[in-house]
Formats: sequence, structure tokens, C-alpha cells
Amino acid sequence: MLRTLVSAALLLAAPIASAATLAVTVRNARGAPVRDAVVYAIPEGREVGPANQTAVMDQKNRTFIPHVLPIQAGTAVKFPNSDDIRHQVYSFSSAKTFQLPLYTGTPANAIVFDKPGVVALGCNIHDRMTAYIVVVPTPHFATTDKSGRLTLASLSAGKYALQLWHADQRSDPAPLPVTLTSGEQKQIELVAR
Amino acid sequence: MIFRSFQTKLLTLMIAVLVLLQAATLIAVHVAGERTMRTSLGEELRVGSRVLDQILSERGRQLSDTVRVLASDFAFREAVASADRPTITSVLTNHGSRIAADAAVLISLEGPVVADTLNGRLVDKSFPISRLIREAEARGESSGIATFDGRPFQLVVVPVLAPRPIAWVCMGFEIDETVLKEVRRLTALDVTLAIAGANADGGFLITTLPTESRRDLLSTARRIPVSKDRDQSIRLGDEMYQGLWHPLQTADGSRIHTLLQRSVADAARPYRDLEVKIFVLSTIALIVALIAAMFFARGVSRPLERLAQGAQRIERGNYADAVDVKQRDEIGRLAVAFNEMRTGIADREERIRYQATHDALTGLPNRVLFLDRLAQTIAGAKRPGDTVAIIMMDLDRFKEINDTLGHHFGDDLLKEIGLRLKQTLRETDTVARLGGDEFAVTFYASERFTAAEMAARLTRTFEAPFQLASVSIEVNASMGIAICPDHANDAETLMKRADVAMYDAKRTHSPFMTYEPGRDEHSLRRLAILSELRNAVARDELVIHYQPKIDVKSDKAVHAEALVRWRHPVHGILSPDEFIPLAEQSGNIGMITKWVLRRAIMDCGAWNAAGLHLTIAINLSVLDLFDAKLPAYIDELLAEARLSPSKVVLEITESAVMKDPTYALRILSDLKNRGVALAIDDYGTGYSSLSHLKRLPVDELKIDKSFVVNLRDASKDDILIVRSTIELGHNMGLKVIAEGVENAETWRILKELGCDMAQGYYVSPPLPIAEFQEWLASRARIARNRSSAPSMSA
Repeated sequence: MLRTLVSAALLLAAPIASAATLAVTVRNARGAPVRDAVVYAIPEGREVGPANQTAVMDQKNRTFIPHVLPIQAGTAVKFPNSDDIRHQVYSFSSAKTFQLPLYTGTPANAIVFDKPGVVALGCNIHDRMTAYIVVVPTPHFATTDKSGRLTLASLSAGKYALQLWHADQRSDPAPLPVTLTSGEQKQIELVAR
Repeated sequence: MIFRSFQTKLLTLMIAVLVLLQAATLIAVHVAGERTMRTSLGEELRVGSRVLDQILSERGRQLSDTVRVLASDFAFREAVASADRPTITSVLTNHGSRIAADAAVLISLEGPVVADTLNGRLVDKSFPISRLIREAEARGESSGIATFDGRPFQLVVVPVLAPRPIAWVCMGFEIDETVLKEVRRLTALDVTLAIAGANADGGFLITTLPTESRRDLLSTARRIPVSKDRDQSIRLGDEMYQGLWHPLQTADGSRIHTLLQRSVADAARPYRDLEVKIFVLSTIALIVALIAAMFFARGVSRPLERLAQGAQRIERGNYADAVDVKQRDEIGRLAVAFNEMRTGIADREERIRYQATHDALTGLPNRVLFLDRLAQTIAGAKRPGDTVAIIMMDLDRFKEINDTLGHHFGDDLLKEIGLRLKQTLRETDTVARLGGDEFAVTFYASERFTAAEMAARLTRTFEAPFQLASVSIEVNASMGIAICPDHANDAETLMKRADVAMYDAKRTHSPFMTYEPGRDEHSLRRLAILSELRNAVARDELVIHYQPKIDVKSDKAVHAEALVRWRHPVHGILSPDEFIPLAEQSGNIGMITKWVLRRAIMDCGAWNAAGLHLTIAINLSVLDLFDAKLPAYIDELLAEARLSPSKVVLEITESAVMKDPTYALRILSDLKNRGVALAIDDYGTGYSSLSHLKRLPVDELKIDKSFVVNLRDASKDDILIVRSTIELGHNMGLKVIAEGVENAETWRILKELGCDMAQGYYVSPPLPIAEFQEWLASRARIARNRSSAPSMSA
């Protein structure tokens, strides 16, 4: 109930107040920037709309591209095969278990990831091909670039639970509560463990 | 005793040296081998432990790879991802058996075991060997050794990737004998793996040792101290091992020990083989050296032995056989020298033997050899009728010849005589020179050829004069014959008897005499006399008998001849013939002559003092002529007796004068100058030449009685000799005296022949002084009576 009220307030305030921006830098314990880390902000007390988007996890040169693909839960992801060899994409992750038997081209049906969680992707005949689809329950997410930076834009003012994920982390860190005011340009440093 | 021969000595020394050397070599090899063996054995064991580690580590890696491949199997992953325990358990069993894993466990990333093939024993518990998980988390995989269910396992932990790790799968592989055998195959070491106290019966143990050793090991295992990485000796049954404890690195901290060991005998085998080879080679070398030494020693000792035998032969007096050594080395030279020495000794001994048995001068056998031959000849005469004769021979007047003509001449004469005798004799006869001028002959006599015939033959050899160095001389010999078995049965006695016979011959002026049984005693008497003669003067045993010499014309006793007699306490009165020659031979004649001179001159002095005007005649021996003090002595005596020298006549035999005419002349002249008259005695028996006689300062000649004794009208020869002698003497102004007048006829003849004086039994025998004086007195009475009577014709 409370969450519904907050999100309603945010929605009401949106047109009036300008959106806030959150710039996040992710470093590891040694202070080095961490690439391909996913940071996503879950609004507190507000519903988020369903995701009606599609995403693409391409396979080129025996590599999943992108390596990390954050998506909002409910997003359908296409797995086109841009190589001229076959791949067999699979996931034994609990968030989404599937497999695409050896194929070329783009399978007709995209796969919908409706459950938040991390889906580790692999190709059964190319052990080195790995990729992650990070299914988050929010549309506010981004991936760090090679300097460990990302920006979450168009955030309405309000409270958020800021979550960090990257492939090497042993467990999910506790979410960082962040409150954004209207039009606020906030900068946050996160340490990946 | 043991080292009696040179050969044995050499061989023993050789063996000793070789055995010592080879024993030393063997011991050195053995000790070095043992040390090397121990060291290399220790090294082997350490290498073996590293190999064991390596093999286990390699096995772990291989197992890891295998398990990793297995874990990436899609179906496996799918099954694991299913999160359905029975499914997971079955896939673990299934896939585990694919790679022959003995156990498989799936562990969640969070820790608890998800499933296992051990009947779920570990499920929901945390994995007991957490270290492996930690290591796998750090390195992506891990492997290690651990004890599981009391058994050694090699465990591998790898992640199950999907593609991110979703779980750990651990597969266990028991370390069994195959592993150990692999180590053994590579290292030739026996490997034992033991887990102490892992279960109730004392431990787990697997080994590559044979079953029985395994039992021994089990029973001794508890007593084997586990000293890490240190060699130790282990006895299993009868076999010695060298062992090394090597603990394995375990993941769970459990104590798993490996014991690497090797049979010492096994390791030592190459060394033993080497030792055996060296021993065999040593033995062969020893045998070869022994054979060589034996040959060498034989080469030395054989000839030495032969030399020794040769020396023994020489010792026994056998010089005939040369030592046969053909070598050209020192021993050969020794043998040559030895043989030269042998012939040298033989020659020398022959020479010595010859010298010992032969007379150096004549080369005839000497007395020794003669006695020997004689004994042999006697021994050889075994048959009855065989007679052995010896003839002893003594040269007459040899001493005179020697003294007169010199020793060289005498020697040459003896040689010549020896030669003649030898030529006269038969092969089987033996002639020897016994010494001086004595020769002897021995021979077999028979009826066909008697000893006397032999003696006659020998006598004939002296008939021809000996022509030596431009001097011609006649020599006579007196011979005595003795015959075996008639006179004696042994050589010594036979010689003695022949000697007696020879003296008889000499005494009787016969060429030879045969021994007469019993004559022996005479010879013994001679010897006794000879020894007693010295004392005769001191004991006053000598006496003088006087024999008158009658002036044939006046019939008066004008001279008295002093004749010495020996009143021997045992033999009675001895005539001068019996002892004077002995006195001359023994050198006592001077003493006797002096005694006679003193007594006779004293007596004569007394007679003259009493008015008896007699001249005393005294005989001098040939030796007296060589006494230079004699004239002075006579002076003393004359002075003492107050006697005129003209009352003394000294009689010297013709042969005595002839012995050294020059010297005799000097002495005689000396005496003559003192006024003493001189007479030549025994005239006619010698060889005095007239010219010689003429030079002598003599006053009288005494015709030898041998011419006078048989003087009768019938014996014209004797009359002729006597007459010519008397005429000769008168022509030279000498008075002539005849000895041995025994009857009236002789007296008459002498008177007719104009002989000056006569002496003999017809007138008077030699008488003791008292009787002589009595005779003188009675004769004086007769003379007084005859002055009235016309003549005397007694």
C-alpha cells in the first residue's frame, strides 16, 4: 500500500518537477574501475510499469554480445546467431532455465525473462562463451563502461534501493538506499566486492 | 721343516703376497662397494620418494582433467542443475563410474553436501575436507590425498559450471597397489603405504612386497620407527632391506606413510657380481702366478739341487760326474765354476794322494803304499801254495856316496836305481822306496820263480856301474828276503823279518839273505842295545881288551891294540861289530871313542912308566875324523899320561879315509904333526887308489883279515895280494901289519913275505887288561928263557 502511494506521488510530481540523474562509479576493493557491473535502482513505494521491450543477445565471433545484458523483468530477448557456425545457448539459472538447441540465424521466438535474477548463459559447444542476462524488477538500470561509470537518468525524485551486481560477486550486496530530489544530479561511488 | 726347500719358500712367499694383495683389493672393493651401494641405495630411495610424489601428483592432475571434462558434460550439468537429489545422486554414480571414481560427492557452493555416492552419508553436512573446497575456490580446482573410510584416496574437486560455478563436484580415487606398482616399475623399489591406526586391526597397509614379506612387514611394522626421510635397515624374514619412510602430504592432515625399500642383497648384486668377477680374476691371476713361480723356482731350485747332489758326490769322493746344468744365468755360471772346482779338487786330491803314497824323488810307491800293496798281495794269495815274498834292500855305503859326491848325486843315483829296479820287475810286482837308501820289492813267488831268483836278478841290476854326470860308480845292495806264509802272515811282520834278513846280509857281506826263523830277536836286541848304548859309558859297562901286535922279525910284542867291549848286563860281552855301527848311527861314537882314547892312553902311560915299552893302537871311527877338537883332546890325554905321541897309533879304516879324502887328509895331517902315528885299517876292502894312499901321512898298513885268515900255501891269490901289499907298503915306507893270524902256517908265510907285524889268535886273542898284562909278563919270561933256548915256536 505504502509503495503504491509513493509511486503515485512520484508519478504526480513527475510532470512538474524535472527528473533527477544518478551517476554511479563502481570500483573494486583495490579502487580499480569495474566494467560490466550492473547498477539498478528500485523505486520504493512505487509500482513500475511492465516492460514491453525486446532486447538482443547477439552471438558474434563465438562471443555473446553484450557480455552483460540487464533487462527489466518481462523483457523478451532475441538470440540471433551472427556466426556461420552453430551455437547451443542454454541456461541452468533458476531465474530462467532454457536451451536453444543448435541453431543458426535468429530463432523465431524471443525468450521472455519474467523473473528477476541472474541468468548465466552458455553455449554448450563453446565452453568459453559466457554472458549474463540480469533480470531486474525496475526499468532503471545501466551497465558500467570500461571506466566503471554509468548514469541512471530520468529518475523521478524519491527513495530508491540501489542494487549492484557484477559477475564476480559472491553474493548480492545489501541495497543502498538513495533518496533523490527533483532535478538532483547525484553522484555515488559503489565498491564491488 | 715346512720351509725346507727354496722352492717351497718362494712359493709360500709368493702365495702370501698375492693372497694379501688380492684380499686387500677384495676388501677395498667390498668396502667401497658397500659404501657406494649404501649411498646409492639411499639416493635411490630419495629419488623413489620424489618419483612417488610425482606419480601421485601427476595422477591428481590427470584425475582433475578427467573430472573436469566429466563435470562439463551437459547432461551432468543438467542433472546437477535439476536440484533433484536422486537425480543428482544417480548422475554422480553414473558419471563417476565412467571414470572409475571410487566416490563422488556434490557440494553446494554454500558448503553443505548436496548428494553423494556413499549412501547419502555426507548429505547436508559440510564437506569434511574443507581445505579442498577452499583451494578449489581459490584456484578453480583442487586435488589432494586424504584418508577416507580408513583408506587412502586421491580426491579431486572441480566446479560444475553452468557456465558459472553452480556446485563443486568431488571425485575420489583410491590409491591402490596399481599406483605403488607403477612406482615400483619406475624405481625398482618396493613401496608400502600404511595408515597408522586407521582402523581397529592396527592400520591399513598395501605393498608391492611379496605376500610373505608383507606378513613379516605387518608383524614388524609397529616396531619400525617412523623416522622421516632417513634410511634405515629393515629385516623381513631372511632378507635385509634398506628403507625410507616418506610421509604423503594429505589434504585432511591424516597420516599416510609410504615406505620405500629395496632389498640390500638386490642392490648389492652388481657389487657382488663385481666382487665375484674380481675374485675369479684374482684366483686366475694367483694360479697363473703360482705356475710361473713354480716354473721359476724349479728353474732355480732344480739346478741348485743338482749342485747340492754334486757337492755330496764330491764329499763322498766321487769326482767323476759333472753337474749337468744347462742354464746360462748365474746358476749356470755357478755350475760351470762348480764343475771346474770339481775337476780342480779331483786333480789336487789325485796329486795329494800320489804324493802321500809315492816317493817324490823316484816316483816309486812309498812305505805307506807299499804296506798297502803288500797287504793286498797277501790278501790276494788265498790258494795254498801261493807265496808272497818281499825283498828289503839297502844300499851299501850310500851315506858315504852321498857325503862324498853330494846330495844331488845321491838323489840322481837313487832315481837311477829306482828306474833299474822298475825295469827289472814284472808288471805285478811292486817296488817301493821306503826312505833313505832303502828299497823294497813285493811279488808272488813260486817254485818256478823263487824269491832267491828274484833277489839274484835284482843283484844283477847292480852289476853295471851307474853312470851319472860323468861319474861312474859301483853300488852294491844288501837284500833281505821274507816270505809269506813261511815267515809271517801279515805285512808288518813280514817287513820286519825282511829287515832282519837284510841286516844279516849286510853283516855277512852277502848280497842277500833269507830270513831265518828266530832271527827276530837279534833285531830286537839291536834296538835294545841302541837305546842302552847312551848309558853304557856312564854305567861303566865298557871295557877295553888289548890284543898284541908282534914284530915278526924280533918276535916281540911291540903294539897293543885297544879293542872296546861292552859288558852288557843282560847280553853279556858284546863285540864292537854289534854296537859300534849302532853307535855310529845313533851319534854316540864320539863319546865311546873319547872313552877308549882316555882309557887306552892312560893304560899305555902306566905301562911305559912301568918300563913296558908298548905302543898303543886305537881305532877311530870315520865320524871321529870329522871332530875337529879330537887332536886337541889327544894332546890333553898324552900330557896327562906323560906319554910320547910316538907311542900312539891311530887306526882308520880305508873306507873312512875314502869318504872325504880332502878333509881326512887335513885331520890326519894335524894328528901326524903332533907326532902320532897313523895306520890304515882293513886295507884291501876299500877302493883307495895308490895315488891317494901316497898322499896320506900314514905310517902303517893293516891288511884286512879276510886276506890273512885263509892264508896258506895253497891259496896263491891271497898270497899274491898280501905279498904285493907288503911290497907296496914297504915301497912307500910304511910298515905292514897282518890281522887274523890264526895258525903257525900263516905266521910263517907272513914272516917269509916280510910282513912287519902280525896280530891274531895265533899270538893272542884280545884280553882284558889284567890278563893282557899277565900275558906280557909270561911272554917276557919265555923271552928270557929263549935267550938260552934257540927259538920260539909256540
